[in-house]
Amino acid sequence: MMSGRRVVITGMGSVSAAGAGGTAVVAEALERRPCTIAPLQAFDVDGCTSRLAAEVDEARFMALLDPDSVRRLSRICRMTLAACRLAVDEAGLEGGARLGLVVGSEFGDFRSGAEFFDGFLRRGPAGLSPMVFPSTVMNSMAAVVAIAIDAKASSVTLNQATVAGDLAVARAAALIAAGRAEAVVAGGVDELFSNVYLSLARLGALSPMGGDAPEGCRPYAPDHNGPVLGEGATFLVLEEREAARARGAAIHAEVLGAAWGAIPVAPHTAPAGRRDKRAIARRALGQAGVEAGSLARCYGSGNGDPALDDWEQRLLAADGVRDPESLAPLFGQHGGLGVLRVAAAALDARAGRAPALVHGIARGGCRTALVIGQAA
Amino acid sequence: MTRVVVSGLGVVSPYGAGVKTFWAGLASGECAIRPLTVIDTAGFRSRIAAEVPAEVVGALGASRRRSRADRLALAAAREALADADLATRDRTDMALFVGAVGGGMLEGEGWYCEEALRLRPSPRIRALRSILPASHAEMLGWRLGLGGPRETVIMACASGAASIAFGADLIRSGATPLALAGGVDAITRICFMGFNALKLLDPEPCRPFDRGRRGMSIGEAAAFVVLEDSEHCRRRGGRTFGELLGAGVTTDAHHVTAPHPEGEGMIRAMREALAAAGREPGDIGYVNAHGTGTPQNDRVEALAMTRVFGEGRVLVSSTKSLVGHTMAAAGSVEAVATLLALQHGLIPPTANLIDPDPDVPFDCVAQTARPAEVRAALSNSFGFGGHNVSLIFGR
Repeated sequence: MMSGRRVVITGMGSVSAAGAGGTAVVAEALERRPCTIAPLQAFDVDGCTSRLAAEVDEARFMALLDPDSVRRLSRICRMTLAACRLAVDEAGLEGGARLGLVVGSEFGDFRSGAEFFDGFLRRGPAGLSPMVFPSTVMNSMAAVVAIAIDAKASSVTLNQATVAGDLAVARAAALIAAGRAEAVVAGGVDELFSNVYLSLARLGALSPMGGDAPEGCRPYAPDHNGPVLGEGATFLVLEEREAARARGAAIHAEVLGAAWGAIPVAPHTAPAGRRDKRAIARRALGQAGVEAGSLARCYGSGNGDPALDDWEQRLLAADGVRDPESLAPLFGQHGGLGVLRVAAAALDARAGRAPALVHGIARGGCRTALVIGQAA
Repeated sequence: MTRVVVSGLGVVSPYGAGVKTFWAGLASGECAIRPLTVIDTAGFRSRIAAEVPAEVVGALGASRRRSRADRLALAAAREALADADLATRDRTDMALFVGAVGGGMLEGEGWYCEEALRLRPSPRIRALRSILPASHAEMLGWRLGLGGPRETVIMACASGAASIAFGADLIRSGATPLALAGGVDAITRICFMGFNALKLLDPEPCRPFDRGRRGMSIGEAAAFVVLEDSEHCRRRGGRTFGELLGAGVTTDAHHVTAPHPEGEGMIRAMREALAAAGREPGDIGYVNAHGTGTPQNDRVEALAMTRVFGEGRVLVSSTKSLVGHTMAAAGSVEAVATLLALQHGLIPPTANLIDPDPDVPFDCVAQTARPAEVRAALSNSFGFGGHNVSLIFGR
């Protein structure tokens, strides 16, 4: 889906359990691999079969923001804003009519939704807060950030399980390719919220998925037994290559190929036997002119969900790609994880390594493939 | 440059199921805004909405286990695909763009209330499986066998229109020759309560562009179009309802809920669409306005249209006065209305418009549909978050 205009990565900003900062912080986290998955502190999980998460220390991202100017923003909006500002500042980018924004999220701002609804349950119509209502819509993070960074081209929010961040990067590349923007700040975000976490655990969607094996995030391992949730926001600056060069931007890497599609399977399922007729990974590699065998790495979306991990490995093998590597144990499963995979691939490219494939597959069949390499 | 045509239409609206029913309602000028029944409205300022009648929802043919929004979406999407008369193999590469906001929230709210009020776990927790907006695309992709790119676009009340714009972009990029694009939203408590809290709902059916307008009326619907590479459509002998000539997608970056006071982003969206379409303002014969009926939106949209087209230089109407503000579906519902207006040479009216606002210097086609041979028309959709989308269709 890369046509005509070439797209490069010129900045990154991240707020995750592993730290908050720009390229240096992401690189350091990937190098050091701190243990971020730990017993949940933010809310009570007594009686819940799942107890682990990769939590973000609020002080880390609040240190990046002016407390007065963000006092009315929800926590997830603050995280998003901090990460986007880091990315934009690093890229040295100015806002305006040619700057776009894409935010990928799986759960959005459920915290505000619950707060709004609880007001009604407590006090009836008089308990409804007009201040909170706008945050209940999933595009609230994009709305806040667009104002802050003056993004006046297309501003898009995408909702997608597991691969929200990957898809946001692909959509951003498509916006640039279509001429809808010259630069796009693209990424993903999710936060840990008690109602969401406890409900997912009750539905058996989190490790240990109702089994007896110990809880933990073990993607692609024989004893994988479900994802462990994380939280955070990671955003990249994507730019049309010639525009980036013209303004003298430091280019980390290029998006050499981007393809996405869907395998039509029942919602919430990951049937390992179902093949992808459109061979999405092979398509992205074809766009990039890269052979599967010459990839330096494949960053997969593996998050420890046994059905999904197994399906991903089979799909990749069918496209000639083997041994995907997961970053879920480092950051936890959340909407920013796919962007962290793209960031990792960009850092590989910056270090002079061969191109990497960033692959994603979600239950329900949404599949993404991005080839990231050195900018020519 | 690849030309993108519309080769199939599908709608479930407050008038009922099907494009014919939708058009008959628009053409008749009948207002479908009535007392709201799907949720309890006691104690609220406004107690009306444009609801899809219960008997219509019950007869949609989709399982009652699905969320209300999923059922609306599936019926509209199926109609659009059947209308386009596509072969099964065409669906393998077909993209799917769904504009959504509420997802299966109506059922999720039911579960949440039950747990919160009874303080014990409810067996209805499975409703959460379809609470997210992306659940519509998952369900549609599965039931309809769509294997192309799949995106759930959330741009508030501009979601449905943005889905159409991005679907067309993907076709022009050569990634796929076909896209099913549109939007869906069912009425939810959170939406109804939220707009009441913001005092944006008129207690009476909305009156866009009327001097006495007091707000909007919410609604629910699903509308999808089949977008197709014109060459692909010609080769397979498909029929067309019109061409998507161009689209503009901009952001105000001004305020989370209020439009830019000078309509700066709206103006850019309309001009961007005109430039993409290769048309001049004078080529546009009709604007299907966003026209919510709130004092602020209508004033700013009129100002923006004046800057783009000039005072009185285009016919304008708001179909929200007929079927309510259908939120994430509004952009696609109004895209279909615009295409049908072009096809039938008839401009749907602005219902309830009795005393035109002098600050709106356009003929807003009050109350009765008007015959007009128009070759190109523009549909505006704006949303919270400063989203602005303008679509231009041609015959």
